[in-house]
Amino acid sequence: MDKVKTAKRKQTIGQFLNRESVAGIVCTSPFIIGFLVFMIVPMALSLYYSLCNYNILSPPTWTGLTNYIKAFTGDARFYKTLGVTFFYAIISVPLRLVFALFVAMLLVRKSRMSAFYRAVYYLPSIIGGSVAVSILWKRMFAMDGVFNSILKVIGIDTNFAWLGNTSTAIWTLIILSVWQFGSSMLIFLASIKQIPGSLYEAAEVDGAKKPTQFWRITLPLLTPTIFFNLVMQMINGFLAFTQCYIITQGKPMDSTLFYTVYMYQQSFEYYNTGYGAALAWIMLAIVGLVTAVLFATKKFWVYDGGL
Amino acid sequence: MKKVISKILAVALAAMMAVSMTACGGGSSTAASTAGSTAATSAAGGSAALTFAWWGNQVRNERTQAALDLYTEQNPGITFDGQFSEWADYWTKLATASAAHNLPDLVQMDYKYLAQYVENGLLLDLQPYVDNGTLDVSGISESILDSGRIGDGLYAICIGVNAPAMLYNKTLLDEYGIKVKDNMTMDEFIALSKEVYEKTGYKTDAGYGGGENFIDYTIRSQGQELCNNDGTAFGVSSAEDFEPYFAIYENGIKEGWMLGSEIYAERTVGTVEQSPLVYGSSPDTMSWCYFAYSNQLSAYQAAADASNITIGLSTWPAQNPQLADYLKPGQFISATVDSKNPDEAVKLIDWWTNSLECNQVLLAERGIPASATVAEELNPQLDEMTQKASDFVNNVVAKNCSTISPAAPESSTPLLDMYDQLQEAVCYGQLSAKDAAAQLFEQGNAVLAG
Repeated sequence: MDKVKTAKRKQTIGQFLNRESVAGIVCTSPFIIGFLVFMIVPMALSLYYSLCNYNILSPPTWTGLTNYIKAFTGDARFYKTLGVTFFYAIISVPLRLVFALFVAMLLVRKSRMSAFYRAVYYLPSIIGGSVAVSILWKRMFAMDGVFNSILKVIGIDTNFAWLGNTSTAIWTLIILSVWQFGSSMLIFLASIKQIPGSLYEAAEVDGAKKPTQFWRITLPLLTPTIFFNLVMQMINGFLAFTQCYIITQGKPMDSTLFYTVYMYQQSFEYYNTGYGAALAWIMLAIVGLVTAVLFATKKFWVYDGGL
Repeated sequence: MKKVISKILAVALAAMMAVSMTACGGGSSTAASTAGSTAATSAAGGSAALTFAWWGNQVRNERTQAALDLYTEQNPGITFDGQFSEWADYWTKLATASAAHNLPDLVQMDYKYLAQYVENGLLLDLQPYVDNGTLDVSGISESILDSGRIGDGLYAICIGVNAPAMLYNKTLLDEYGIKVKDNMTMDEFIALSKEVYEKTGYKTDAGYGGGENFIDYTIRSQGQELCNNDGTAFGVSSAEDFEPYFAIYENGIKEGWMLGSEIYAERTVGTVEQSPLVYGSSPDTMSWCYFAYSNQLSAYQAAADASNITIGLSTWPAQNPQLADYLKPGQFISATVDSKNPDEAVKLIDWWTNSLECNQVLLAERGIPASATVAEELNPQLDEMTQKASDFVNNVVAKNCSTISPAAPESSTPLLDMYDQLQEAVCYGQLSAKDAAAQLFEQGNAVLAG
């Protein structure tokens, strides 16, 4: 009698483990646990802190929406950094995409070296966000840096402080961002190759020249890819941190102060951590809004029909 | 099937949430209980692993680590994890650690952050250890010891006495026959800056970034205090009192002898090796002077050796040097409430304060040792630069100074950045000295009032 029972239970445990859903949950659990512990919990805490007066050193006290109201009504630097971040994202992302597409068009031709070039042009994307490159950049655009030395060689003798001038400093960051075009370039490359050769052949028969082929065939068929890149890069653009933090620290005069860095300063340098958390949630809303707007424009310019 | 999965998921999510929440909530109490038990065991066995955090430069990092190694050698069982950072990163790191109740056992403390850390209950009161004889402070003069007191508690022990010191490029000035005298007035300093600029092309770096030190100094020289006693308002009565300070920058930039603050868009303020005093490729980007503290002389000299520069030191300029200048208990050592081995931590503080051997390793890099006995015995063994700094403190500053202002109140922390921003705005010509003074007076008072 007992034996039968255990056998039955064993069977059920075995069966239980063999069920598809259980296997699935067990296999995904590392991610789920990681997601919960490192994403959901910190996010929940940050939402809570954003509604508190919290300075890290002592426990938070509930203040409701005060932090949010302060951001919109009593903080000039909030608007300043928002302006800087929008300027950076709106200039650097399209520039980067144009550049990525341009290089992708060059590299799409089959040649023995193209694989090598693709790897080389992808390199900046891998190292570009790193601290080392940021420091390199800072030195390059210093008054006695490489950039001024090159200008000297071509006859412009200048000691201009590119990073110290309120109107040029942001451009050094934009150039750094454009330089990291690799990942968009790879995605462009892949989708250019997907375009059927028959379309180009037909166009050639009709007498269309190369530029016309680009504008009439390649570009329209790439619009879904452009859209994808645009959305992803725009989000990244708004969240850029390292470059500003390492290279400029927002100087001079806050002209390069990214929103994320300001948020960090508020949280960890001025010890207004509750306020910093509120800034983070405002950013989330803004990024969501921008993405939604991009999606709303999709039907006007993105080609989604079949071939 | 789908329903089952989502149910399981929901339960799993809820369970994990609950677990992680309680883990966070219960953190402090478990930490406290383990602290109790390890303290008990360590008292018996005399072994512990302590973390010691400090900010500093290359010279300090090496000497501090060597001193800690020496302690381990003499007290097997006590090991150290030495953590050093740049000044700017140090406070960020410490604040984050305090949130996690994970402060290092021992921290180097600064006068301007002391009040804030004590008010938030993060530092260990050392008075009981003084009373029970673990910590011997008999060698330290009362006034220096008091600088580590807040209320009835003793929260920090001074480990170096310094004074504000203007470091200058002696090699350069000697070459042009320019003399720097001690206790210069502001007018004499400006005249000197102009002379240096005209003759050599080198500009003047007047306390960029570390703004609060020099503004405090300038206000003191006017016979006033930067903050009132309870930290609820400025100690000055009108915006005009700030004007002379900002005017130095406004005029200096206009007249060309002041180093533009764009140089600090490229470099990190306070990092010795990047200072325009010792590093740069042309006079345009270099300064002949830098406003530092006396103990920094060795580090600057070490950095200047690469360019064959000898560094001299003098007092910071002020309208009235005697009112402005002060002896500064420059650096402190504190034990934190998060320490699991407070007894061992305090023993190290005692050793640091009273052991000649320890100070023979440290060689007064942080300033003159607070213990008079140690300072006296150590003096002949110091290298030339440190002796020079220590002579400067004892013979130049100590004879012509006033008592240091009280530690900055917690409420004044947001002002540190405000000083720098307004200074920058004046240097970029976006604000006149008058407007900057007015803004500081109005906004700063609002911050202090809370």
